[in-house]
Amino acid sequence: MDLAAARSLFAAWLAPRLGGQARSTFDAWAEALAGGVDDGEFCVLLSRACRLAEQRPLKPNATECAAASELLVGLNPERWSELETMRVALVLARSDLNQQSGAAALEEAFRYADMGELCALYRSLAFLPDGARFAWRCGEGHRTNMVSVFEANALDTPYPATHLDDTALFQIVIKCLHLASPLWRLVGLDGRLNSDLARMALDLADERRSALRPVQPMLWLCLGQNGGQRAASSLALELKQGSVAGRRGAALGCGRAGLTEELELALLEEKELLVRDSLTKALSGHITQEMFAALETPDAITKENN
Amino acid sequence: MRFFDPHVHMTSRTTDDYEAMAAAGVRAVIEPAFWLGQPRTQVGTFVDYFSNLVGWERFRASQFGIAHYCAIGLNSKEANDANLERPVLDLVRRFACKQGVVAIGEIGFDDITQAEERVYREQLAMALEFETVAMVHSPHRDKKEGVRRSLEIAFEMGLAPERLVIDHNNEETVEAVLESGAWAAFTIYPHTKMSPVRMSDLVERFGPERMIVNSSGDWGISDPLAVPRTAQLMLSRGIAAEAVRAVTWGNAIAAYSQSGQIDVAGLSQEPVIDQRAMFEDNSVLRGQRPRVGRAALAALAARAEGGQV
Ligand SMILES: [Zn+2]
Repeated sequence: MDLAAARSLFAAWLAPRLGGQARSTFDAWAEALAGGVDDGEFCVLLSRACRLAEQRPLKPNATECAAASELLVGLNPERWSELETMRVALVLARSDLNQQSGAAALEEAFRYADMGELCALYRSLAFLPDGARFAWRCGEGHRTNMVSVFEANALDTPYPATHLDDTALFQIVIKCLHLASPLWRLVGLDGRLNSDLARMALDLADERRSALRPVQPMLWLCLGQNGGQRAASSLALELKQGSVAGRRGAALGCGRAGLTEELELALLEEKELLVRDSLTKALSGHITQEMFAALETPDAITKENN
Repeated sequence: MRFFDPHVHMTSRTTDDYEAMAAAGVRAVIEPAFWLGQPRTQVGTFVDYFSNLVGWERFRASQFGIAHYCAIGLNSKEANDANLERPVLDLVRRFACKQGVVAIGEIGFDDITQAEERVYREQLAMALEFETVAMVHSPHRDKKEGVRRSLEIAFEMGLAPERLVIDHNNEETVEAVLESGAWAAFTIYPHTKMSPVRMSDLVERFGPERMIVNSSGDWGISDPLAVPRTAQLMLSRGIAAEAVRAVTWGNAIAAYSQSGQIDVAGLSQEPVIDQRAMFEDNSVLRGQRPRVGRAALAALAARAEGGQV
């Protein structure tokens, strides 16, 4: 990670969004942090950022999103707020992030953080030098029950897939399904799919069906080409009896598993246009995790309970 | 009608309470840091308690469409523990500037000791430094004298009366507080501090200006619906709706928004129910549809009919 590039990128995002007074205060704080402040002061500046920046969504434009992925592959600032951007920038303003003192200060900030600060601190993990040092902290982030914090830690950042082992990463995956969090945003998931995760997902599908509850439509992105006959049967069942969103998810899952016959069969019977669309897509080529974004509509969530 | 309960200890309450409050129209609460019923013996438990107020409790409230603000302070009882005083005051300083912290509180007197006064003064100085509000608890014993000294010290320290809220008033203290220019808050308790009937009498007698009703719901016998219940009684007794709105909504917002930490425009809108609150994994809404109260559910249903959901 090029820290200097990250600093100037976030400063460039903030500049047009801050008033003149807030901008010069931010610059002064960043300079103080670069020079070194005690840990208490660091925490206070992170807190006081709420008086400089707005909590409203950052709403990055296409150029800014492109610059983000150029800085760090997989980084997606679509769901960042302006305030989070400032807090990440303040963390990165420290000049000792590669040393023990920087890591200790960061841990102190986590310990004293409120809900919004936690989101920003977890978003900052991906930019830190020697990122493996923070794997335990990332694990703490997925043990939280605050959904906003969980998602800031887990989604839209390459950190978890880069630094977590299968045990930790798959817990995040399954928790996303439980929380109805958009699993397709778990950056790098496609590169980590394996038979263990497929088994966990298929067990969850069975558990849901036993409880007479709908299977989460995004569950089907956990399989890839894993799971064998058990996966094929579970997908076929979903294509037959799932809700609209469920059938769409299963269609994409079948596409990833190469179950062409099942897809063609379903296409003969399917009347629902949205599902037909997913079936056709699944038959026509490579289905990436990002293509499951189509299932992340309020429609899909409300339909879940049908 | 919608309500603001500006003094309620939600960490001591259940999700049933949140549900009932949302259904009764409570849109926002302030949770002041206080005593936990028994003394804390180390500073670490304060760290976790304050973190809880700005973290988990804030999230818990949001699941019921209730905006959760808090006040941070070293309470008067524990101000008497010399081992806690210094480290906890340093901690208050760290938490007081966080988002959604609308006051230093609840602070003030309990036994009216020298230690309590020293801690009160230092926290008033923080309210001045951070340009925020002071939420002052008035003592149960020797209340009238406690209120008199609380006012005297606050003004001596230079706090503007409009940034001072004196809480737990009664018929004997209300005049001194109103005359001073500070806000007079009243705690409606089922059996002790103040009843809805007496509260209505006071609003009739003194008018709604700078009067604030709260529940101080906590781990004791108390009523988290005290604010809506009192409003209902006042309306039934013919007190003007505008006056009722002032003492159960507008005045609290006017007082505490001086901290700059209340999203006044946001509060005036319909509560937004987060669809993602539909989760079960070992969280408060285990496996159920979110129970957010009738009003909020009705609003959600109406939006669904409008095709937006
Ligand atoms: Zn209290």
